[in-house]
Amino acid sequence: MTATDAIHADASFRTAVLSPTLAVMSFQLGRLLSRQRLLLAGLGVLFPAAVMLAVRRTVAEGLDRDLAVTMIYALVPEAVCMLGLLVTMCPAVADELERGTWIHIAVRPGGRRALLVGTYLAAVIWTSAVAILAACLAVLVARVPRPLPLIGILAVLVVLSTLGRAALFALPAVILPKRALVASVAVALVVEYLAGFIPAVINQATVSLRLRSLLVEWMGWRQKLPVEMQMLIDPQPAWVHIVAVFGLAAVLLVVAVKILDFRQFPPSVEL
Amino acid sequence: MLSLTHVTKVFGSVIGVNDVTVELGAGAHGLLGPNGAGKTTLLGLITGQLRPTMGQVRVFGEHPFANPRVLRRIGFCPAADLLERRATPREWVRYLVQLSGFRRDAAAERADRELDRVGLGEAMDRPLSTLSKGMRQRAKLAGAMAHAPDLLVLDEPFDGLDPVARHDLVGLVRRWAVSADTAEVPRTLIVASHLLHEVEALHAGLAVILGGRLVASGTAGEIRDMVDAMPSEIRIRCDTPRRLAELVCSTDGAEGFRFEGDDLLVVATRQPRALAERIASVAVEERLAIEEVAAGDRSLEGIFGRLVRLHRGVGS
Repeated sequence: MTATDAIHADASFRTAVLSPTLAVMSFQLGRLLSRQRLLLAGLGVLFPAAVMLAVRRTVAEGLDRDLAVTMIYALVPEAVCMLGLLVTMCPAVADELERGTWIHIAVRPGGRRALLVGTYLAAVIWTSAVAILAACLAVLVARVPRPLPLIGILAVLVVLSTLGRAALFALPAVILPKRALVASVAVALVVEYLAGFIPAVINQATVSLRLRSLLVEWMGWRQKLPVEMQMLIDPQPAWVHIVAVFGLAAVLLVVAVKILDFRQFPPSVEL
Repeated sequence: MLSLTHVTKVFGSVIGVNDVTVELGAGAHGLLGPNGAGKTTLLGLITGQLRPTMGQVRVFGEHPFANPRVLRRIGFCPAADLLERRATPREWVRYLVQLSGFRRDAAAERADRELDRVGLGEAMDRPLSTLSKGMRQRAKLAGAMAHAPDLLVLDEPFDGLDPVARHDLVGLVRRWAVSADTAEVPRTLIVASHLLHEVEALHAGLAVILGGRLVASGTAGEIRDMVDAMPSEIRIRCDTPRRLAELVCSTDGAEGFRFEGDDLLVVATRQPRALAERIASVAVEERLAIEEVAAGDRSLEGIFGRLVRLHRGVGS
């Protein structure tokens, strides 16, 4: 039996989809273990803690818990996650083109899809790990009372943030691979921080609305919020927001995969 | 096994491949053409990286573009150097085999075996960045062959290698080609190169591509006969080219004359030696001042140029 026969005989979900995707994921995680990327990760972990330390030192009477939580939320599930994903998810295709590895991957069955989904998973794992560490350190440095439940809430928000936004950044990565970073920053600003704050139907399709709403819900802040701030959250139950983030991520990923399926890159060697 | 029917591929205003029709069966085939001829584009179409703008590409009876059923049976070694530097050859080849649908353990076994076969057994755990170009080329070849494809496509596989590495890799590919002939499932090898002797060494049938067009196909002998059957050119620089033309026009073998500028005569002939001797004797007898006599371009580029003229019906 030739290798081809062997694969045909065993063209299960595992060999056709799962194995290549996990291969890409583990290969990408290996790439993220470079000295440069580890240094960036270290900065990502320390940066929110450094900000919280500086703020705590300027407030003599101690930091208000709600204010500290709001700041940590802005620094970690928002800033650190965004920056982490810009580094890990945006270059999904551009990196392969630059390294001359795209051709090797594009000629493998399901290689294109495995590349995108595997890189997505690696970006989510890497960024989540960095952001959760950053959240832990920031909470400890800020000396927030009852830190453990808060860390739990922040960890869930971090995972949802990376799941949703990595999928959002997958689109510029496949549509404009060589300008993915710039395009992703633009997408983040326009979609997450402009459309996300417009109190209309459009903000329902943003991750930032879901995360804010979950934070308000789980911190028990809904009653405390002024009326004008209530417009910036969605009062639906938490499970709706979680399902919405997963749904949004799935739709964006499917669209990105479909686009990548049809992408062609001219052989620059000859043109 | 593989057929292209009136295939054209256009990138914006650049024509990569122009109306190519060819059928390739099992066995070894060489795709010959100078840099920029369209070889990589043609291979991109065959290996499912590119969709034709016009025409039809069929590999194993199906469209290859992003088609997993076809891609599973193709092994491709691109021309571009591998810039993935941190991974080791073992990790890299295992990764590619996994992408071809093999489980991790089976992929590891195949990667090790193939790396041994291409002579990288000792170096398979060194980062790619520490390997020579020849060794990286071997790693690329191992990646293309480790999943035992039915169609192996190699783009300039010997480019930039030293003579020893080149000899080794030609031997390696030739062994694959020989085993392809005896394999249970018919297998095909396509090697693109701009060097005729590399393709000849694989005992492959030849297809010559130039300017995106397929200008000739056949065995190396047939193509050489075709080229030899075409008149070659002798270029003579002298102060009286028209007078010289009058004197040699009755010579056997002089088939055509062309003047370039005031001092250059170009004579087409199938008997260049006899003609050159006649020119020399005429020049002495008539006391003509000849500055330069140059034979036509015998380089591969020159042969390609002549094939193009033959293809267009000029000088045939």
